[in-house]
Amino acid sequence: MTTYAIRRVLWVLPVLWAVATLTFFLMHAVPGGPFTQDKTLPDSVNAALNRRYHFDEPLYKQYGYYLWNASHGDLGLSVKGDHEVADVIRRTWFVTFQLGVLGLLVAAVVGLVLGTLSALNHNGPLDYLGVAFATIGASVPNFIMGSFLVIFFAINLGWFKTLGWGGPLQVSDIFHASAYDWRKDVIPVAAVSALPSAFIARVTRASVLEVLSQDYIRTARAKGLREQRVVLRHTLKNAMIPVLTVMGPLAVNLVTGSFIVETMFSIPGVGRETINAVSARDYNTIMGTTLFYAFIVTMASLFVDLAYAVVDPRIRYR
Amino acid sequence: MNIRSRGFLLFAGLMSIALVVAAACSSGTSSGDKTKTAAAGGGKTPAAGTTTAGGAQAPADQQKITIQLAEPEFYDPHRSNFEQDIGVERMLFRGLYNLTDDGKGGVKVVPAMAEGDPKVVSSPAALGRLAAPAGAETILTVKLKAGLKWSDGQPLTADDFVYGIQRECDATVASPYQYVLGAGLGELKGCDDLFNNKDATKTQALTAALGIKAVDPTTLQITLNKPVATFTTIWSLWATFPSRKDIVTKFGDKWTDPANIVVNGPFTLKEVVAKDHATLAPNPNWVGQKPALQSITIKFIDDLSAAFKAFQTGELSMTEILATDTTVAKKDSALKDQVVISPSARITTVEVQMKDAILGANGGTPDAVKKAFNLRLALSRSINRQALTDVVYDGVNAPATYWVVKGLKGFQGNEAFDKTIGYDLAAAKQALVDAGYPGGAGLPTFKFTTRDNKQRRDEADFLAKAWGALGIKIEPLFVDSKTRSAAFNKGDFQLFPGGWQLDYPDIENPLVGLFDTGGGNNKYNCSNPAVDAAFKEAAAATSDDARIKAYQKAETAIVTNLCGIIPIYQDAKPFMLSKKLGGVVPNGTIDAGQPGNYCVECWFVKK
Repeated sequence: MTTYAIRRVLWVLPVLWAVATLTFFLMHAVPGGPFTQDKTLPDSVNAALNRRYHFDEPLYKQYGYYLWNASHGDLGLSVKGDHEVADVIRRTWFVTFQLGVLGLLVAAVVGLVLGTLSALNHNGPLDYLGVAFATIGASVPNFIMGSFLVIFFAINLGWFKTLGWGGPLQVSDIFHASAYDWRKDVIPVAAVSALPSAFIARVTRASVLEVLSQDYIRTARAKGLREQRVVLRHTLKNAMIPVLTVMGPLAVNLVTGSFIVETMFSIPGVGRETINAVSARDYNTIMGTTLFYAFIVTMASLFVDLAYAVVDPRIRYR
Repeated sequence: MNIRSRGFLLFAGLMSIALVVAAACSSGTSSGDKTKTAAAGGGKTPAAGTTTAGGAQAPADQQKITIQLAEPEFYDPHRSNFEQDIGVERMLFRGLYNLTDDGKGGVKVVPAMAEGDPKVVSSPAALGRLAAPAGAETILTVKLKAGLKWSDGQPLTADDFVYGIQRECDATVASPYQYVLGAGLGELKGCDDLFNNKDATKTQALTAALGIKAVDPTTLQITLNKPVATFTTIWSLWATFPSRKDIVTKFGDKWTDPANIVVNGPFTLKEVVAKDHATLAPNPNWVGQKPALQSITIKFIDDLSAAFKAFQTGELSMTEILATDTTVAKKDSALKDQVVISPSARITTVEVQMKDAILGANGGTPDAVKKAFNLRLALSRSINRQALTDVVYDGVNAPATYWVVKGLKGFQGNEAFDKTIGYDLAAAKQALVDAGYPGGAGLPTFKFTTRDNKQRRDEADFLAKAWGALGIKIEPLFVDSKTRSAAFNKGDFQLFPGGWQLDYPDIENPLVGLFDTGGGNNKYNCSNPAVDAAFKEAAAATSDDARIKAYQKAETAIVTNLCGIIPIYQDAKPFMLSKKLGGVVPNGTIDAGQPGNYCVECWFVKK
């Protein structure tokens, strides 16, 4: 298992190289550049701007410089404000992390609870509620869900706020009470977790139903075990394997879903930064944030695979 | 009926009731009835919106507001290109002159850091343009007001203006707006030479040769290549703001960080949380009208729909909104008095590639040129501009057959051009017959390259239907902003909704370089002898009136010949402005980012 884990971690480097190369050349193949605008800048101004950021060098040189600098932790300068891209990511990753983790936690708790209750009350009112929730959550895009929640809960009822992030923007702010305003977080987290929780609920329901029909569950009941013990100890643990299977891709979905939610609620996260960078053809920021997400996704994938082995002792990696 | 069926029905019933309650409680309606004809515009130019100039001020501890703006890229006026940057820089810095509302819907230039108008030391002519011989320079002096200070208490001197201009003309700073000081516009001696210089050994000499010097701490001497009628207007722009050499040298690119920045405007930058917000506080050493506001928090919000919702929850005092949200706002009794429609200094047109053999026929036979003109005329006369602005923009924008925006000296308006290019379906059909394409027969499908957002899609849909009624077909290509701009810059388009946002409020700005043959921004390749002749006449004018009359001739020649453009509407920006916010006087020709921000020191929170 340790060897397996080390091997998977080492695979991250070639994966990141491939992502960087593909992104770099695709990015430059797309029409328009960082200084392209309708109001054409004079040639002298364009030349000065390109010279300032070294975009006047041949493409292969820019690619080489980028790889060399990135391998030394220098992700270049953003053309929007001359901020170091590494600094931009440093300033925004923690917010995206909080949104993602909270979204995943809410999705997991809501999905597992709803899915389990649905299965345990098969064809009952709770089951219908669970299925309805799962259908709505899976069908409604998160930006529409977010808009509905804002209108209903923020504007009409005034319960929540709609702008920004109500948590620490930096790790160093964790212990500052003034950094927290939970009223800003409820709707974005609900919007980003709606689809994953619906999906988890459906998978959990199906998985629990399947496990409940197994012989060993009948045996456990026949032995006189309390229903609570049967469900928590025997049913859920065995039902988790398919659920874990989908958690990895769902974590990815949360990451990509957060792009839209961050933009909608003006949350200062990496997702919003990425969208702005793509629109602006801010090459260095596109590269930096793409590499960041590639790293996160590969590590999330590894984590899920390792969690498998913990949940199911039958699984052994070589 | 068994228990399970009853349970299901009960559940379904409860869900239905919940949905009905949610729908009933939701505020606003859909984005508007698309079949309505006259909306708020009602055929007239949208009102400048209610001004909030009057009212008693709330106590100092309540003088705090939060407003919306896209995040500035830079707080350095010599690096800035975009409206949001310029809007904030106007709050932090001031130049020799400032633009302000003239009370009649127009603009006037007033001294800011300067004591008064420039004094002409020598000039080959009056401050009108003149085709002056080489070496016929104009030398001016500008006296600064006494007692000027930076926010850190240091005196603001002529040297600071000299250094600011040196930065503006320095290629390593790479200012996107250096060209306003260069040939054809600001005509500052030596600015282009310094900016285009690639030999580092010559930089010092070229910097010393720049046409701006500090004669003494309060007097500037400025040398222009030739007389410039728009001198005070150009020297009100952010590109001419002063800079502190010691601060820039010490902190480099970080000189605009809140801990380092020094300013000479009404507010200073107290805090910037990147991607989230910036906070401004009054500059204690500002020499002008003392601001009533004690704090302005600028929230960086790109999504205007989200900003509108935030205004409704009370999180914002001022925000731009989408045109489609104005209908929602106007129908809401709590919001309708807080909607302000501020005319923008921009005309939106359908730009036409004149090199296209069918649409423009540049360089073609007289017959081909005439046919192409009639085709463009058919396109223009089949657009019901009022209906378009009502249906797509909820009446926010103002239909326009003119090109020079309302509010500028020399504005001619719809009256001058409606009869020649305005909506007239019968005339459109006849023009198409005259072009040799009755009912559209023989015409190819034209590419219509536009931005991929809802309003542009609706606009394309509207135009496709309007032209389709004549038999003219278009193929909309929806692309992102940069892709669209790249296509435009290469001239790779047939029909292209575009326009021009004024850099400064003078009639020359939307004309020079855009319609003269070979002009730098003339991507539609307009080439018309009458237009070129009018520009020459303007360049040779020795009085402002003569100059403006010549540019009016140019506009007439451009519009009546539809030379590269088919004007559709003058843009307007809808804002939500809290009833509690006073002192905001929108002026579309000079606002940048927010209405009335040319005098942010005038804003206050009402009692």
